[in-house]
Amino acid sequence: MVSTLAMSPQSQGLRLGPIQVYAGLILLLGLSMLMSLTLGYKIYSLDQVWMALFAHDGSEVAVVIAGLRLPRALIAPLAGAALGMAGVMVQTLSRNRIASPDTLGLNAGASLAVVVASIMFGVQSLAGLSLAAAFGAFVTAIVVFGVAASAGGLSPLKIVLVGVTFASLSHAFVEVLLTSNEAQLQQLLFWLSGAFVDRPIALFYNGLPVVIIGAVIGIALSRALDALQADDSTAAGLGVPLAAVRGLAFVAVALLTGAAVSMAGPVAFVGLVVPHAARRLVGLRHIHQLPAAALFGAVYATLADVAARFVIYPVEAPVGAITAVVGAIVLLVLLMRRAA
Amino acid sequence: MSTLAVTAPAGRRFGIGAIVLIIVGLFVLLTLAAIAFGSTWIPLETVANVILGGGEKTEKLVVWQLRMPRVMAAAIAGAAISFSGYLLQRITRNELASPGVLGVVDGAALGVVLFLAIFSNESNALTVSVAWQPLAAAIGALTAISLVFILSGRQSSSAIRLLLFGIAIAAVAKALTTVFMLVGPVYQAAQAARWLAGAVNAISWSEIQIMAICLVPTVLVALWLAKDLPPADLDDVSSRSIGLNLPVYRIAVFFVAAVLTSIAVAFVGGVGFLGLIAPHLARLLVGRSRFAGILTSCLLGAMMLIGADLLVRVVFTPLEVPAGTVTAIVGAPYFLFLLMRKDKTNG
Amino acid sequence: MADLVPSRIEVRDLTLMYGHDTVLDALNLPIPRGKVTVLAGPNGCGKSTLLRAIRRLHTGQKGQILLDGIDIASLGAKDLARQIGLLAQNPSAPPDMTVEELVRLGRYPHQAMLQPWSEKDGVAVNRAMDGTGVTGLKHRRIGSLSGGQLQRAWIAMVLAQETDVICLDEPVNHLDMAHQLDCLDLVSKLNKEDGRTIVLVLHDLNLAARYADQLVFVHEGHVRALGQPEELMKPELLAEVFEVDAAIMTDPVHGRPICIPRGRAKAAVKELA
Repeated sequence: MVSTLAMSPQSQGLRLGPIQVYAGLILLLGLSMLMSLTLGYKIYSLDQVWMALFAHDGSEVAVVIAGLRLPRALIAPLAGAALGMAGVMVQTLSRNRIASPDTLGLNAGASLAVVVASIMFGVQSLAGLSLAAAFGAFVTAIVVFGVAASAGGLSPLKIVLVGVTFASLSHAFVEVLLTSNEAQLQQLLFWLSGAFVDRPIALFYNGLPVVIIGAVIGIALSRALDALQADDSTAAGLGVPLAAVRGLAFVAVALLTGAAVSMAGPVAFVGLVVPHAARRLVGLRHIHQLPAAALFGAVYATLADVAARFVIYPVEAPVGAITAVVGAIVLLVLLMRRAA
Repeated sequence: MSTLAVTAPAGRRFGIGAIVLIIVGLFVLLTLAAIAFGSTWIPLETVANVILGGGEKTEKLVVWQLRMPRVMAAAIAGAAISFSGYLLQRITRNELASPGVLGVVDGAALGVVLFLAIFSNESNALTVSVAWQPLAAAIGALTAISLVFILSGRQSSSAIRLLLFGIAIAAVAKALTTVFMLVGPVYQAAQAARWLAGAVNAISWSEIQIMAICLVPTVLVALWLAKDLPPADLDDVSSRSIGLNLPVYRIAVFFVAAVLTSIAVAFVGGVGFLGLIAPHLARLLVGRSRFAGILTSCLLGAMMLIGADLLVRVVFTPLEVPAGTVTAIVGAPYFLFLLMRKDKTNG
Repeated sequence: MADLVPSRIEVRDLTLMYGHDTVLDALNLPIPRGKVTVLAGPNGCGKSTLLRAIRRLHTGQKGQILLDGIDIASLGAKDLARQIGLLAQNPSAPPDMTVEELVRLGRYPHQAMLQPWSEKDGVAVNRAMDGTGVTGLKHRRIGSLSGGQLQRAWIAMVLAQETDVICLDEPVNHLDMAHQLDCLDLVSKLNKEDGRTIVLVLHDLNLAARYADQLVFVHEGHVRALGQPEELMKPELLAEVFEVDAAIMTDPVHGRPICIPRGRAKAAVKELA
């Protein structure tokens, strides 16, 4: 039962209080967003950015910054925040630090919904695809979680297996649908690995309220989620209504993941990595874990998005590939250190 | 000491034997039907005739060059993957384990994509024979599984840890695959996507030969290991106390299962889902006996893939829907049904 | 409808079934106020289930459980959690949770959803940690604690709930001797100093006899006997309930009865079911 997480016998008191952590993260976020606006295929200077955003002079620079970079600079952090918070809740609900919206198959389910909507129903509008994504995430959340929890109880192995199998199932369908429509193949492929690029700013405005609702539900549940980290008997003994809390948290996870996928496609592993960092920074109380995960997720996604522009310069790499590689490495490190 | 034979009372043994025989019979029938059906229907007697050496030239051509290869490939690959699934489910004592979860399939995909990327010239034609593609897939698959085992080190004897390492490696492989598919020309992406979806249509006899050659020693090793599989209900500690060197044994079983999957997947693409379903059905039909279980799993897996391919040819022509679709479509509701039942295994 | 000074808790005709098995069968049990009641019995007799039922953790239980004359079925979850605290058997929490975070969980029943952490909560938590001697460990992660320290941390969590009744389900099973005594002495102190009503499930009969004010033998879903330890620790009763042939002596140090098992009891003359 003892793990490396607890190995250090000394007082591991938080060296930084939560307020300092938040301040630091907000600062980082601001910096990242600035980087997102200035860096890219062409590098712009700060006053160019300023002019473009506030002077509306219609120059090429303005078009690029306002039309292309600004949406990304807003969508990336929002999606990152949403996935971070969803990740926290998924890990608490499944009592498993390796669980995340992706390993539960939520991302895959959302992608499947988008591909189905696009190829089989010819949905082209952004709003339609976003809705499909949210719907897909929602349905998958219900199916995977509900099914994994039903027979025999929610063991970590079961959850992982259910999620992985469901994900490969979804992928199988997606591959198949893609082969039937090769014209859209490349475009869909890019989107399917998660990307913040080429997204209209409307998506940000659509996603924002959903993310806020999900976040509010999460924060409202924070004390109950704290108690859920202990075993069921203890939580029930404290008066926590287990089923209701799980159901509501579910809804929140589905909303957050759905919103993120609808904005950016399935960005891999953000929901896995971010909660670990959040816990290291602010401890296990959800009233802090959630905001910290939101901020950290926002920073992480934005920085990954910036990196995506340079990794195979001048071509743009899908940001999901970067988060997948980083996330996988983190996962591997966590596993090898038995920290999870 | 355990033996491969069924240690059940004689009456039960007879029952199982009868079931196995029935399945063998069905398998033969299905094979013949699969050869018979297609864009042109060849009557069964003609098929039998051709197999036995006679028949007209055109018939011979169709049977031996077009139909047989696909059917054989489907049979062999289906059987290999099912065997792998059987091993995995027994060694993890969890009926949700399947070959697709160890990152093998994703590694193979990466291998294929890299192969296409490296060996294409400017006009998007392959500079080497496409016959090398399976090798690339196999290398990719084996690299993935080796990474999983090397990185997991001592933890590899724990099922869930291994799965998690598999997820991580698979994620990296998938990400890289996507990047390469995007960076290269559309042709490559399309080709790779088709492979990923799982199809048996492009198989040639030489490929089948290679598959068979690789499989024979692997299957032999697998059978030798299988005789020591702990009874399905025995937990780790008890198994150890009956003399099984569990960690080493487990790693060996995982590895062999991965190799089986690699070989199959290298030639026919992503049909991993069979490895989940076939062993279940086998257990439903013949219970827990080892030998019957393995044989039945393989037969059922072969039948499923043959059947899927047949369905594709008959129902979906002239579309070339990959056989992987069908298995996925069938797999989905089955999977859900499976999980909703009362869980009898160690969850 | 209160009788003269009724028991703190009164269990009436409690029946509980798991599927077709009747685990508790029309069980009646008074739990006296301010005393330590220990439930003892052989494996599978239903003592843990009884404890959990008192805490209303099982659905489908029939019968009544009255807390100060009020049926607990009519109380809300948080309300009940403010009155009866439970330390579950083999509780678990993430190993990187700090002791303070664990103890804080105990304040859950006292907090409304959007109510911020109040001074009252802080005081309760500190008092609980002091009472169990874990204040010095409060920033330590529970995964790094020894068995005895960990158990004290869990008891602190239950204490932070500030309930008058505390139920503990086999709290000392996995502890070594010294820590068993530490733990039970602590529980005893809570009873003597704060006047809390304690309901304990214990496996070890001698420990049960030593710490109980009211000892209860649970057998096959019934209360077979209840009373002072001296009344219950009799060879015939032990043979019947525990199937053990034992000699009873009085512990010279504490003056409580102890049993020394000789071997298995001959099968009691009972109808085979």
